[in-house]
Order: sequence, then C-alpha cells, then structure tokens
Amino acid sequence: MKVTFKGISKRYKGKYALQDFSAELENGIYGLLGTNGAGKTTLINIFVGILKSDSGQVLIDGVDARSLGVNFLSRIGYLPQFPQFYKNFKVIEFLRYMCVLKGIPAEQGEKRAKELLEIVNLSDAAGKKIGALSGGMRQRVGIVQAMLNNPDILILDEPTAGLDPQERIRFRNLIAKFSENRTVLLATHIVSDIEFIANQVILLKNGRLLKQDTPQALVGGIAGKVWEVAATDETIDEKLNRLKVSNMMRDRHEIRLRVIDDEKPDARAVNVLPNLEDVFLYYFEEGAQW
Amino acid sequence: MVKLILFEWRKHFLKIPVMAAVLLFSILNVAKIYSVYEGNSLLSKNVTGPLWKELYWDMYKDFGGTITDEKIRKLMAIYRPLEQRTADLTASTTYRNADTYLANVYEDFHFFRWCYVNPMKYAYDYEAYAHGVASAARDNIAFYQSVGNAYESRKNAAIAELFEGRAITSFSYTEMYQHYVQYDFSAFLALLICLYGFMSVFLTEKETEMDALLLTTEAGGAATVRAKLMASALFACLVCFWFWLVDFAAFSAIFGSWEAASSPLYALESFIHASINVSLGQYAALSAVVKTAGIVVLGLAFLLISCFFRNALIPFIIGLFATFGCVYMAEASMGSGRVWLKAINPFVLVVNRELFRKAEFVSLLGYPLPSYMAALLFAAVWGAVFLGGIAIFVRKNAWRQGGRRRVTMDL
Repeated sequence: MKVTFKGISKRYKGKYALQDFSAELENGIYGLLGTNGAGKTTLINIFVGILKSDSGQVLIDGVDARSLGVNFLSRIGYLPQFPQFYKNFKVIEFLRYMCVLKGIPAEQGEKRAKELLEIVNLSDAAGKKIGALSGGMRQRVGIVQAMLNNPDILILDEPTAGLDPQERIRFRNLIAKFSENRTVLLATHIVSDIEFIANQVILLKNGRLLKQDTPQALVGGIAGKVWEVAATDETIDEKLNRLKVSNMMRDRHEIRLRVIDDEKPDARAVNVLPNLEDVFLYYFEEGAQW
Repeated sequence: MVKLILFEWRKHFLKIPVMAAVLLFSILNVAKIYSVYEGNSLLSKNVTGPLWKELYWDMYKDFGGTITDEKIRKLMAIYRPLEQRTADLTASTTYRNADTYLANVYEDFHFFRWCYVNPMKYAYDYEAYAHGVASAARDNIAFYQSVGNAYESRKNAAIAELFEGRAITSFSYTEMYQHYVQYDFSAFLALLICLYGFMSVFLTEKETEMDALLLTTEAGGAATVRAKLMASALFACLVCFWFWLVDFAAFSAIFGSWEAASSPLYALESFIHASINVSLGQYAALSAVVKTAGIVVLGLAFLLISCFFRNALIPFIIGLFATFGCVYMAEASMGSGRVWLKAINPFVLVVNRELFRKAEFVSLLGYPLPSYMAALLFAAVWGAVFLGGIAIFVRKNAWRQGGRRRVTMDL
C-alpha cells in the first residue's frame, strides 16, 4: 500500500491552508506534526474526502482516489478530531450502526466489534451509554469504530486531545498495536504522541511540508544544537529573551535552561542530546528557516 | 436501507424528550377536545344543562335514521304547538311544568328547533337545493358556450356533475363531526412535535462532529440522507396518525357518538358546497391523509432550513416563524376567492376543510382543476423543491462520484 500526495493545495479566503503539499506514505505510522493552524486537519479532510482540494491528487497505489470513489472509503478508517458520537447510544449499538454504515455484514461486524472492544479493554463498557464514558474511553470507542472494517489506512486527527497522561500512553500503545501491515497517519501537535511510535514524522508549517523523515534522522539533524545553560535569578530574564528555550528547571539556587541554538550560547553551555520536542521547537519557533 | 432507517429513527426520535412531548401534547389535545365539547355542544351541561343530552338521545330513537314523512309529521306535531305557544313570548316560564319535556316551553321550543327541526329541514331541503345548483350550472354551460368561454363552460359542467343527484336521505347526529372538521389544534401540536423532532436530524451530526465521520463511510453519504428523510417522513406520519386517532377517539367518546360516519359530507351545513362526494367517515380519513401530507411537506422545509445551521435554536425559530407565516397566509386567503393563493400554501393541506367545503377551481391550461387537487400538486412541487434543496446543500464526500459534486465545508 502506497499513498501519494501530489501537489495538494487548498485556499480559504485567499490564504493558503495547504500549499503544494507532496509526500509519500507506505506501511507504518506517520506522525503529522505541526502547530495549531499548520494545515494538518485540512490535509486529513482532503485525504478522507470531506474537503475538496483546489489542486493536486491523492493516489492509492498509483490510482487516483477520485476514480476509486466508494472503494477508497472502504479502505480507510478515520477518527475525527473531538468526536462526541451519539450520547444516547450504547457502545455496542453505536458500533453496530458503524458496521451498517461501513457495509459490514451484521454477524461479522458483531464479532469484530467484540474482538476490538476486548483489545481496547472496553468489553465491560459495551452496554454503557456513550454519554457515560470518560474522554479516554470514548477515544477508544473511536479507534474501535475506525478499525471495524480492518482498513488499510488508519487516519487519526488529534486523537489524544483532552486525554490524561495515562490514557494518552494507553492510546499510543493501541495505535502501535493496530499499525501492523497498514498505513497510519496520526495528526497531532503533541510531540510525545508520536515520539516513540512513529516510523516517520511529517513536519507541516503554514500549510507547507517542512520535513519528512524518521524521528531518529530528525533528531540527528539537530545534533550539537541543543545545550544546557545555567542561569540565576538575576540573569534568567536576559537569557529567556535572547535564547530559544525548550525547558527550564530550578535546581536549588541555580536554574538550568535547555536551549536550542546553532551556536554555543554561553561559555559554560554544555551540549546535550536532542529529542523530538527540540526538533519541534527548532523548526516551529518563529524565525525558523525553510 | 431498512437498518439505516431504524438507526436514524433510534438516533433522533426514540428519545425521552420527543416521547414526553407526544404524551403531554396528547393529554393536552384531549383536554382541548373536552373544552370544545363543554364550550360548544348543544348537549353539554355547560351550554344547555344536564337534560338536553338525555332528551336528545331519547328522541333520537324516534327521529334518527332514514327521513320519512311519518317522522316529519310526528316531529312537526311536537314542534308546531311549541312554536305557536312561544311566538308572542307570553307562555309561562315556570320551572318544570308538567306538560314540558325540559324546564319550560321555551326550552322545549329551542331544543326541538336546534336539535331536530333545523337539522332535519336542512337535510330534507338539500336535495332540491343541489338540484337547483346543478340546473343553474347546466344553464351556465349553454350560456358560456354561446359566448365562447370554454373554461367557464367546463367549470360549470364539473359543478353540474358534482351536484347532480345529491341528497341527504337520513338524519344523524352530526354535531360531533361539525366540531371535528373545524378542529385544528392537534395539527398544530403535531407540527410542533415534527419541528422539534426534525431539528436534530441533520444538526445532531454537526453537533456531535459525526458529520465528518459519516462522510468517510460507504453508506454515510446519500444513503444516510435518504434514510434520514424516510425516517423523518415515517415519524411525521406516525405522529400525525397518532394525533388523528386521538382526535377521532376523543371526539367520539366525549360527544358520545360517531354514527354519522356514513352520512354524506354535505350533511354538514358548513360543507353545503362540498367539493367531493364522500361520506363523513371517508372525509375523516381523507382529511387525515391530506393533513399528514401537508405536515410532511412542511417537515421537509424544516429539514432544509436545519441543513444551513450548526445548532438547533436558530432553525427552530425560523421554522416556527415560517409556519406562522403560512398560517397567516392561509387565514388571509380563507373564505376569499383567491384560490391560487390558497393552493400554493402547503399549510392549506393542514387545515384542508377550506379545500373541501367549497367547489372551487383553478384554471390549468384552460381546464378547471379542483382547488384540492391544485393544492396537492403545489404541495408535491414544494416537496420536490425542498428535497432538491436538501440534496444540493447537504455535505458530500469529494471522492464519491469522481469528486465532481459540490462539497460544503463549515469553517
């Protein structure tokens, strides 16, 4: 399975939400990383057909998704941003409804729904009303509905928004579990969501593709540009104004700053290993170069 | 498709607030029908006291059924003396005279006049009246032919055919139907429930952000829209059917009879020029069907309006005002000769007695079309326009049908 985005552009009121976006996706998890308003949801909406692009093509194994029509829809599983689902539906009832919508035969759908509920540890909640579920449980129902048709492509738009850290970790692990033999596109602005599970990261800024690479390569790309700098209460304001600080930690009387800079920012600065959050800050902080 | 319809039904209509509204409005409806009886019926205690009802049904054994000369003679034998005794207003008003049926001679006179003589006279005279109308219409045919007015000639031919052979051969208790055909409150309640229920049909998907998810599934596009429309139409039909059932049952129970069902529609004085030759029972069924059709068409308008919004309040208010606009238009044109104005308003189907109580026609390519047919045709056109609007404006998936169709995106 190979998904190709070819020169996708979309404008709203004269402003580009997505500009000449091209990328190739194969099996594996792709983290779509960008700030709010970077064009992640626009790209996903175009990908799933909710939105029509002004120009460009989406190809599935070299075939235009337009010509696949409904056949394309049967190959995707989609979890939108902030889905509430139907609060008066029971979980199993909602999944049965999704099976009808996806054209899955009743018996097969019932079996699949129960299997997936077991995997996401929601078997006990099958008879509960969706309105009574926590945010994390609702997101797990969301991933179950997306997986019902055993899709080749799984598209998740900000799936961890509103989840607590424990639920976020659990959800991340689920995605990793479901990623076998399929393409997963996960849009987020939370770096930790994809840091350890993504095979590739797509950095999107102002509607344009900034970088696409493995997390290791992206992290390696800024090696030697992350520093630890010591500051005091007297010097902290000056350093915060001058430097690109990704983290700040008070250690007794000293304040330790994690700084991203091409040059050594301070005579006493110590080079440290970068992580994906540093990559995010390096590229998305104002003034970053294309 | 059946499963989709069932799920749409479950999603939007099988909800406690909707069910509660149906139940509460049904109770309110029965209370209103009771108030109609108490406030208007000649046989209610409030209007005429407790004795009229008892006396009416006693006398009905003698005078009800086929109108015969013998029955008329018997009735007049009671009525004429009463008329004479009360003519100069000098008769005794002493309460409970021994020789009176009710409190006094005046009350007896009014009882027989309003409950038996006038209604029976109307029934007895109707045949001659209808014959006169048919004859006049036939004369008009010849006249209009002579002046070359083909439309008026055809119209009069239709009137002559309609009134030919009309007669009321039996006397029945029609008071229940007199009020039943004038009763619109239940239609208003059914319309309100539909307005309330329909607001969620498209808006729920937007409010729950499910619209995007639905569009990415095989049956989440046009098939779901069709299922929504069918579930909504089914809901409207069931709500209407329920209210018409409650109406008929409550009217029959409260007024104590529905036996005039086999009498002709023109047995009601307000339907002296009825545009169809059906019995009261058939009219009750026909009127229910036409009312339901009107509510379904207005419901489609509510659904179309709701397509343009993201929350229910504004479309609910717009739908309510659109309904009031239609009510106002119907009231303004009621009783007037502006038949086109009546016919183009889908609300006229909801208060359809205006279409059936008078033989009115509109010219369709020079041919006289009864106003009820014109109204039904216009309603079908409105329905098609609303359905077309929904099909155009509802959100679609760009990948379906080659992505050529319009995609609406709310930002």
